[in-house]
Amino acid sequence: MQEWYDAIKSADSIDKIEEIRIAIFGKKGIMNAEFARMKDIPDTEKGTFAKELNIHKEGLNALLLDRKLFLAMEHLQASMKAEAIDVSLYSPTSERGSLHPVMETMDRIVEYFVAMNFSVQTGPMVEDDFHNFEALNLPKYHPARDMQDTFYFKDSMLLRTHTSPVQIRTMLSTKPPIRMIAPGAVFRRDYDITHTPMFHQVEGLVVEEAGKVSFANLKFILEDFLKTMFGEVNVRFRPSFFPFTEPSAEVDISCIFCGGEGCRVCSKTGWLEVLGCGIVDPNVFKAVGYENVSGYAFGLGVERFAMLIHRIGDLRSLFEGDTRLLEQFR
Amino acid sequence: MIVTKNWLNEWIDLDGISADTLCKTFNAIGLEVDRHEVIRVADGVVVGFVEKCEKHPDADKLNVCQVNVGSEVRQIVCGASNVREGIHIALATVGSELPGGLKIKEAKLRGIESHGMICSSKEIGLPSMGEGIMILDPSIGELVLGKNLNEYGAFNDDVIEIELTANRGDCLSIHGIARDLRAALARELREVNYKEKQDGRLGIGRILQLHHTDTFNADLLFGAIEVKEFHVPFAIALRLAIIEEAYTTTVDALLLYATQSTGVVLRAYPFEKFGDIETKGIITLENDEDGYAALYGKEKVSVIGVSQLKEAHFSANEGLVVIEASYIAPDIIAKKMGDKKIPSCPHYYRSSRGSEPKIDMGIRYAGSLFEKYSASQVYGGNIELTTSYEPRIISMCEEEFESFIGLKIDKTTITQIFKNLGMDIGKPKGSTFAISVPKFRHDIVNKQDIIEEVVRIVGIDNIPSKPLVFAEANQMNNDLNEYKKTRMYRQRAAQSGFYESVHFVFNERAQVEKFGFTCTDVSKELINPITATFDTLRPTLLVGLLNSASANVKVNQKKIALFESGMIFDTNRHESKRISFIVSGSMESEKISNAGKPAVIDFAAFTKLIADVVGSFELVSFAPEHTLAHPYICAKVLINGEKAGEIFRLHPQIEEEYDLGQTFMCEIKTDVLAYALVEAQPYSKYQASYRDLSLLISKELTYETIKLAIQKYATVQIRRFYPVDRYISESLGEQMSLTLRFVLQSDDKTLEEEDINVAMDAILNGLKEELGVGLR
Repeated sequence: MQEWYDAIKSADSIDKIEEIRIAIFGKKGIMNAEFARMKDIPDTEKGTFAKELNIHKEGLNALLLDRKLFLAMEHLQASMKAEAIDVSLYSPTSERGSLHPVMETMDRIVEYFVAMNFSVQTGPMVEDDFHNFEALNLPKYHPARDMQDTFYFKDSMLLRTHTSPVQIRTMLSTKPPIRMIAPGAVFRRDYDITHTPMFHQVEGLVVEEAGKVSFANLKFILEDFLKTMFGEVNVRFRPSFFPFTEPSAEVDISCIFCGGEGCRVCSKTGWLEVLGCGIVDPNVFKAVGYENVSGYAFGLGVERFAMLIHRIGDLRSLFEGDTRLLEQFR
Repeated sequence: MIVTKNWLNEWIDLDGISADTLCKTFNAIGLEVDRHEVIRVADGVVVGFVEKCEKHPDADKLNVCQVNVGSEVRQIVCGASNVREGIHIALATVGSELPGGLKIKEAKLRGIESHGMICSSKEIGLPSMGEGIMILDPSIGELVLGKNLNEYGAFNDDVIEIELTANRGDCLSIHGIARDLRAALARELREVNYKEKQDGRLGIGRILQLHHTDTFNADLLFGAIEVKEFHVPFAIALRLAIIEEAYTTTVDALLLYATQSTGVVLRAYPFEKFGDIETKGIITLENDEDGYAALYGKEKVSVIGVSQLKEAHFSANEGLVVIEASYIAPDIIAKKMGDKKIPSCPHYYRSSRGSEPKIDMGIRYAGSLFEKYSASQVYGGNIELTTSYEPRIISMCEEEFESFIGLKIDKTTITQIFKNLGMDIGKPKGSTFAISVPKFRHDIVNKQDIIEEVVRIVGIDNIPSKPLVFAEANQMNNDLNEYKKTRMYRQRAAQSGFYESVHFVFNERAQVEKFGFTCTDVSKELINPITATFDTLRPTLLVGLLNSASANVKVNQKKIALFESGMIFDTNRHESKRISFIVSGSMESEKISNAGKPAVIDFAAFTKLIADVVGSFELVSFAPEHTLAHPYICAKVLINGEKAGEIFRLHPQIEEEYDLGQTFMCEIKTDVLAYALVEAQPYSKYQASYRDLSLLISKELTYETIKLAIQKYATVQIRRFYPVDRYISESLGEQMSLTLRFVLQSDDKTLEEEDINVAMDAILNGLKEELGVGLR
């Protein structure tokens, strides 16, 4: 019997194991032969013989299964090893595209104001004088209306110079209260390192009954907005002038590059100008026939936000469809 | 507007106020600081006096000077053409270090020792003041030999450039800014600059008189000065250089300086333009041919607030000068220019934004400067024409301040603010104030203008932030929906491998017309495009994408996939929204999986990409109106049976012209794209069966035709069918085999073989009948 144990232990393939199994447990196998010998064994020894034979039967069977499992495992290991690849060759290179940094920034701005219960409003890019200037307290002889700044068409229409005409259109078509933003492209006749003839603005307007909206409310929302966009920055309001708001202010954030210490980007001032805002000028309300109302308005340049947030140095590169810039935003 | 701290200090007491505090104050009151620069001449640059000046024996252009610096006389070799004996100069002594790191050392120039350098303004870090070295004079203070220049205010100052907003014409002068600072700093103005001495002067009335029929809403004041031996004092020349004002004559320089200081528009005329002394000169004020208030002597000399005729300028440096100080309300003159534009001179900027109405201050200040710095004689008195000014009164109650600002401001503070701003504010009646607006603040017309003054002076920093309490409203309107829809398609495009690009809405008319697009109607075209390449509104997004793809090739990009979502314009400039795509070259980057040879984009791969973005569509063959497309690889895109756009390979000639490899483009109307909630349809619970038919058809026959025929004969069991294989071989000649797969299903039962055969036979018979097509 011992030789069969040895034979199983030294079997080196599943096939060999099968051969041995047949030799032991097959019809003509040694087990059957041994059991056949029972009839010749004296009765007194029969019990011992059978017991011993059963022990061998179980022992050989267990060893066979064991060895078979072992060989199967070994075989699997070998075949897997043969399939080995150099994973480091396959570091993923994403083939995904990207959203444009300006558009993505605009999306984030819109998202903030939508969360603050503002509506989104749009209007045409080709505008008339009334909506773009006249109704916004920019009378005919205002310096901001110089030919230098505005694109005009032969039929005296123009390309909107700001998104503010959307305010006028919204006020003319709805009744207060109003909470709206107007995102969109605007146009000025300027083309140099810091100006492009087209850029994007988001304009905001809130109108409530008279006496309800104060400068303090404007401060609250813009401070909160700027911290949402830029993180923990200081926000500074400087009195300024816009024809459509009074009082007006320009809003700065502490320089996100130097933390306010003063650097090249902030021209050593420690501040970056990012917004214009104010309390709506009574002449604007008059132009749309609103009475006994109060409100605030603000406007910002999306390119400026995108350039600051994403550290983009060259404004013009935003309009060149250059893959070398765009692929960084995947 | 450029100011210096010392210059301001001549008009308002700035003692103990640092330049930084000054800048902060400016920003806080709405005078935005654009630039702050410190002027401080280096130590060791001292006042010297040229005692002797002789030609260098070995160099034509050099002089050997003996320069007294108080303690000793030093020999200096100087190359400036304007060096001469008897002048005070700035000497950089040995050991001093000039801007740019130039260290002054002992030197020998052509064999002659030189112990220092006589400096020009630029060499010591000041703006350029013309050719040659600086010649100092006592206008900067007593000239003490050997004294460091930086001990004089002129050489130790802060230059602050303020970006003035269009409404603040009152701050276009040193005096105006000082006046605004008075309220912010609660300091006093110095009023000493223009006190007039009247003793023993010849009255102007003896030589000049003014004729007019109307006042034309202008204030005018004339003075006369016999200008003698007048040179521009150094201190004034330096300040004019700092504020970057150029001048041609000395009289011009002084008037510019007086205007800059006081804000009053001043002009100088030679007396003879108005007549001669014996018979009196006559100035006539009347409307000119354009309807502007103008001044005439023998001929027209100026338009008030707008321009002075070239021939009427005082161009000599000596002689009898008539000085005009004028004020005209800015809204009047700006409106006039808006209606009928005439040429203007630099003063127009000032008068259109509001020059200083206190014109007597300007003319007296100018007179006092002439007397102080020369032997000039000022005539006594003035000839005057003024209009009456009725100040605007604005009434406001205490509560209004709080409701606009969001902060309670007490009555005393309000009263103090307006007093300091130079506005009359009487005692409040109850809680109501009556504020009277002075002439120099023409920008203040309503309550909110008054509020702004309070906000400026109180400081926005001191206003609290308060959330607005409002009634909630449903803001889900169409525009938001449209915005979200576009964003969804943009995100899908980015996910499918396209880079979003943004182009100007301008195209080059010649380029897009060459491609056969129709541009904005000529009668509605842009008048003033920014460049010739952006001279029309884009009728398509495709050309912008094409130009960008080409630019990408030029910087060696191999895989180009761009999209843009934006507006295009029809001939009437009506906007409509498109989303457009371009793919050129490789479909993916080079990598191990493609053995460094990524497949080049083809029609099938491109249509799959587009379908990933816009959803399923149907293609039908089509000839577009433009010439961008390959004539045989071009399709109309149908979405739910509606024309949504087009998809094509770029014309091979254009590919070549733009250095592009195989390129595909697509433009889709976003209107047609779906953005609705899906409604689920009932679907069969029974198993579907599949059957293939291989048809032998002519190569000329399009699938479109076959599809239509099948649709006609398909029973309800035919749920879908689609082409899966195409076989072309020589043995088939002019024919080919097209394999179609049919999906059959019933809502009521699992289809039996017989049911399927009936349905397929119907199709086969139909195809035979319609197209004469049979099985292979």
